Amino acid sequence: MRKSRSQFRLALSHLKRSRASMISLFILLVLYAAAIFTDFIVPYAYDDEERLFSYAPPSRVHFFDDAGKLRPPFIYAKTIELDEYRRRVYREDKEKIYPLKFFAKREKYKFLFLFGFDRCLLGVDKPARIYLWGADSRGRDIFSRLIYGSRISLTIGLIGVSISFLIGLIIGGISGFYGGGLDNFLMRLTEMVMMIPTFYLMLSLRAAFPPGLSSAHVYLMVVFILSFVGWPGLARVIRGMSLSLREREYVLAAKTLGVSDIKIILRHILPHCSSYAIINAALAIPAYILGETALSLLGLGIQDPMPSWGNMLSEAMNIVQIRFYPWVLLPGLFIFAVVMAFNLLADGLRDALDPLFKK
Amino acid sequence: MLRFSLRQNNKDSNLSRLFPALIFFLAFFCGFRPGFSADTKYGGELILAATSDPRSFNPILAKETSTTSITQIIFEGLTRTNGLTLAVEPALALSWSVDKSGLVWDFKLRRDVVWFDGERFSADDVIFTFNKLIYNDDIPNSARDIFSIEGQPVKVQKIDEFHVRFILPKKFAPFLRAMSTEILPKHILESSVENGKFNFTWGADSKPSEIIGTGPFMLSQYIPGERIVLRRNPDYYRRDKNGNNLPYMEKIIFIILGNQDTALLKFLDGEIDYYSLRGTDYPLLKPKEKERDFTIYNTGPAFGSNFIVFNQNSGLNPRSNKPYINANKLGWFKDVNFRKAIAHSIDKEMIIQILMNGFGIAQDSAMSPSAGFFYNPDVEAYDYDLDKARDILDESGYKDIDGDGLLEDENGKDIEFSLYTSAQDNQRIQMAAIISNDLSRIGIKVNFLPLEFNNLVQRLTSTFDWDAMIIGLTGGIEPHFGRNVWASSGRLHMWNPEQLSPQTSWERRIDEIFDLAVQELDEKNRKSLYDEWQVIVSKELPLIYTVLSDSMFAVRNKFGNLKLSSFGGAFHNLEEIYIKN
Repeated sequence: MRKSRSQFRLALSHLKRSRASMISLFILLVLYAAAIFTDFIVPYAYDDEERLFSYAPPSRVHFFDDAGKLRPPFIYAKTIELDEYRRRVYREDKEKIYPLKFFAKREKYKFLFLFGFDRCLLGVDKPARIYLWGADSRGRDIFSRLIYGSRISLTIGLIGVSISFLIGLIIGGISGFYGGGLDNFLMRLTEMVMMIPTFYLMLSLRAAFPPGLSSAHVYLMVVFILSFVGWPGLARVIRGMSLSLREREYVLAAKTLGVSDIKIILRHILPHCSSYAIINAALAIPAYILGETALSLLGLGIQDPMPSWGNMLSEAMNIVQIRFYPWVLLPGLFIFAVVMAFNLLADGLRDALDPLFKK
Repeated sequence: MLRFSLRQNNKDSNLSRLFPALIFFLAFFCGFRPGFSADTKYGGELILAATSDPRSFNPILAKETSTTSITQIIFEGLTRTNGLTLAVEPALALSWSVDKSGLVWDFKLRRDVVWFDGERFSADDVIFTFNKLIYNDDIPNSARDIFSIEGQPVKVQKIDEFHVRFILPKKFAPFLRAMSTEILPKHILESSVENGKFNFTWGADSKPSEIIGTGPFMLSQYIPGERIVLRRNPDYYRRDKNGNNLPYMEKIIFIILGNQDTALLKFLDGEIDYYSLRGTDYPLLKPKEKERDFTIYNTGPAFGSNFIVFNQNSGLNPRSNKPYINANKLGWFKDVNFRKAIAHSIDKEMIIQILMNGFGIAQDSAMSPSAGFFYNPDVEAYDYDLDKARDILDESGYKDIDGDGLLEDENGKDIEFSLYTSAQDNQRIQMAAIISNDLSRIGIKVNFLPLEFNNLVQRLTSTFDWDAMIIGLTGGIEPHFGRNVWASSGRLHMWNPEQLSPQTSWERRIDEIFDLAVQELDEKNRKSLYDEWQVIVSKELPLIYTVLSDSMFAVRNKFGNLKLSSFGGAFHNLEEIYIKN
């Protein structure tokens, strides 16, 4: 126990030295925290739409009123009209000011799925609506939807990776430890899964599921699809590692002492693969996030009105939207940031954990 | 012009007889002399975008628009529909007459039509096209369905070289419109029909010079995935008012672009001359009209339709012996009040605003307003009123008894169904999302699911496992051609297809209307029949219509003689269009 902690400390101090990794870690922690406290942070529910405010631009937060007097931050309500080119023109209605309110009232929700609550971090009184990052085609708040979407986009990677790593570790471990015919069979199976182009495999798995699923089911299904696509690569590497590990003295010692095979695999072989597995997991998460994005972008993943970064981005598939309402691209920015952060973090982790790099 | 006469000279060398040479000289003088006066109209090219590659160049086998948009330029029928007035006008036929019984139609053919290879067009080609191609059971084609009147073929007889007689088994009102079916050359295709190879003739891999038609332009080059080039047919028979040979333009080029956004960018860059725009493109294009030298035309509501349809199929799945949909759902879907409540929950106004930037109309009738004569505006309309929808549901026994926010039917089952639409069509996905949201407000749970288009069509036409769909149909000006949808025995009678006998009284009446109207040669009586049909549809709501977008075209300013219409689009009169200097 003691040794492992010091090893952990060692790795952590090593990781701390890499600035890029620490920044990435910080970004990820902030985003995951936002995902946990979503309901409290966002001013509106993800399906709260106001069709009249289609593509409303981000609300401007004012500090000075028309008379030039300094006030606590506030916004104006907006009115919309179409100009001669049928562009949506939003004007601020300066008649009345709507101060930003902390702990403002919003629709009732279950805080952390535990108890009912109806306050949020920041909001304004009705009928004005605060769009921190603009609105989508049906006047839903992009900020709220992004944070709600992070619940899906951020967890799908973690859960997907855990499942596929579980499969990969077990199959790789067994295959390498026993060798022979079983190894042959399992490895040919993995190759068969690897042979199919990933994206088409995802599409055909998606088609195999029955229609009319609830959004929770669709979410689980997407996780399953992504994990099913993700495990073979890892299984191959783990198999190679356990193939060499099983010849080590301590494994032979355990064998002679009569320890059961399963125990040897779980206690002596797989822990030695763990640093590789952790690095690999951090590198693999972005692939899951992108996989969900691709499915949802094609309308085959998470379904509207549930937001995910992928299906939100599908609104930005048209140049007209990007030209006039660039804020619909925000989910893309978030995907980019998260993918980048995971990659940099994995880089740092590799330096920290890989014994070969240690001086 | 010079090139024009040179081509004729080359061809002359192939013809050894004196007579054709004489004809050539006549043609030469007729065509050439007045040509000087309007010399400036000739030449130039039109560059269009095609959405995908044509599958073949065979108009009889063609099913998809990527093929027909090319073949309709290369080939012609005996008649054609004027793209602007929607009237039937002669094409390869000069004139026609019908006897008192309305069954015997005599067509007089033009004598001045030649195929691209110089062979003369005659009655033999017409007889061949009907008897050897359309009525050939080995050749799958959609024209056979149209020309099988109550299952019987039309008799086609040759009277002399330029006269053809059609004898119908029964009266058939849209006969003249149907006669726009393309005529193919006997001298080219006869051998392939005899060898049984017709179904592989004129595929997409054929040499361009092998595709022989009579139209204003002929195929000159096809590079798969890249472009299709059509060249002017110098022997085309139509003349302008001054007797000049048509067409004016030298080339039509289709650039194959998969994506509408690519087409939009290419149009703005000046690489293509035409772009069919969506309402949402308007704010991007309109301000650039002057700078980029083009004009946006809005010709009013488009043809076609968008609607919600509910599965009312009470049949059993022959494989599993279970009903296609469960009895509860079937009960709601068959309830006209349920469908009326849905119709009141469609926020047509905002759908038009959001998805079409205001360029569209709420559709109430089964025909598009652009269809003109047969369109009936006096049908039941359903405004967006969620309270009214709630009241209708409440009165019909759908109430929320257990207080979970969802309505239940009399058996206590929650009202919940799946709604499918095409995953490729962003506009329909958005429409479905808006409608689902409103339905959830009145206590109906909708599981909305976009599917791949072929999967959607398969469910609709063969497996029948679906609850509700948002889908569309192409439309036209002749209601009878929608018979496969409206007749209770029709394959596309989506809500309850291929019934052995009509299961409801209103479906029976629609069957009657279609059977009566097709035999009614008096246009006024026909119209009143089809008016009644549109009223029945709006009252019974087998299809709940949503919104119809405007047809809008952006065309570069260099073209003369443009006569745009929703029916024909921007270039239906291709041969008359010229390029201004």
